Amino acid sequence: MQKIPLALAEADMVLARDILRDDNAGGPPICGKGITLTESLIERLKRMGVQTIAVEGHPVRMDGDKNPEEILLDLDRRFIKVENDPLTGRLKNIYRQYYAKSSGSGE
Amino acid sequence: MNRVEEKRAEIRAIIMNTGSLPTLPGIITKLNALSQNDKASVQEMARLVSSDQVLSARILKLANSPSYGFYRVSTISNAMILLGVNVVKSLALSSSIFEIMEKNSVGLWEHSLGAGVAANIISRRLKLPECEEISTAALLHDIGKVIIRLNFGDDYRQLLALIEEDEVSMLEAERKLLSTDHAEVGAWLAKSWFLPDKLIEPISCHHDVAAAPTQQTKASVVHFANILIKASGFGFSGDDFVPLIQPAAWELLGMTDAILAEIVDELEDKLVDTKNFSLEMQTADEA
Repeated sequence: MQKIPLALAEADMVLARDILRDDNAGGPPICGKGITLTESLIERLKRMGVQTIAVEGHPVRMDGDKNPEEILLDLDRRFIKVENDPLTGRLKNIYRQYYAKSSGSGE
Repeated sequence: MNRVEEKRAEIRAIIMNTGSLPTLPGIITKLNALSQNDKASVQEMARLVSSDQVLSARILKLANSPSYGFYRVSTISNAMILLGVNVVKSLALSSSIFEIMEKNSVGLWEHSLGAGVAANIISRRLKLPECEEISTAALLHDIGKVIIRLNFGDDYRQLLALIEEDEVSMLEAERKLLSTDHAEVGAWLAKSWFLPDKLIEPISCHHDVAAAPTQQTKASVVHFANILIKASGFGFSGDDFVPLIQPAAWELLGMTDAILAEIVDELEDKLVDTKNFSLEMQTADEA
């Protein structure tokens, strides 16, 4: 799943989450999970003021997007001063697992 | 006093003499007086703030930022009721500094916004009271860095050079060169604004939560929020190093790996919206 600004949405992308109304997040969704986007649907969502959507897979390579190895190298670099600290090390592990999960099966 | 200690005294004197800080709208002085008067009503304060349209617009933009979750706040009196008078007052006081940050240090601005979002997620997940105040303290936690940069440009450049050369953190560099740090400077500023302890202490103690006399829980959340946002690599606060998690903060909040993992998931999800919000604010100001 990838969360993208609506401006980068394209036809044939598949919604990975329901789109909810900004002003009524508890109400019925505007558009349901699993629906395939079309040009006209994207236009309609724009007019409704939707800003971000979650789509299946990782279809958009955003500015600054890195491959999994680069992401882990950056993580190591950020944690370099606290490498041997047990508590902060736990946070680093959680981030490793998060990156593994988000780059893994696309889910 | 040696030269470095003199620096600390000089910074303190400049902050206490508010005339040398970014200009605050005249309304703030009145608001400060009004909010210290127990008899002043929220409506009176809202009316005062609303009379300045530019200030009101900026406060409402911030009140609708991802740092405060899912509020849709459209009027100042709503903001005062939903977020609290302290929050609105802090946003009003810091709005001119935020504006400077947005234009001249986008990295620090995004770091601050992201810390606000992280603090909001942590305090909601742990069901802490006064989430909005905690988010505000997180939004303001590095305000001392802006003041150092604005008023002591030469020193700031030396700090950056030291961070680069010796690979130290901003905090270490500040303590070495200025014999103070951004947490202390931020707290002086917050005090000069008459903000309450629940906002001052998380700012002054976000690197040392045990030093907070009364607000250790709030200081611990801001401590975690700062570490999480640095761990995520979102924004730039002067250096890239993730600080140490203090065992006192971990214990005080009753943190566990499972809770922290949930918080990280939610934070990473919200950071897409936070980036959008930051870009929107920047383009709105250009227009």
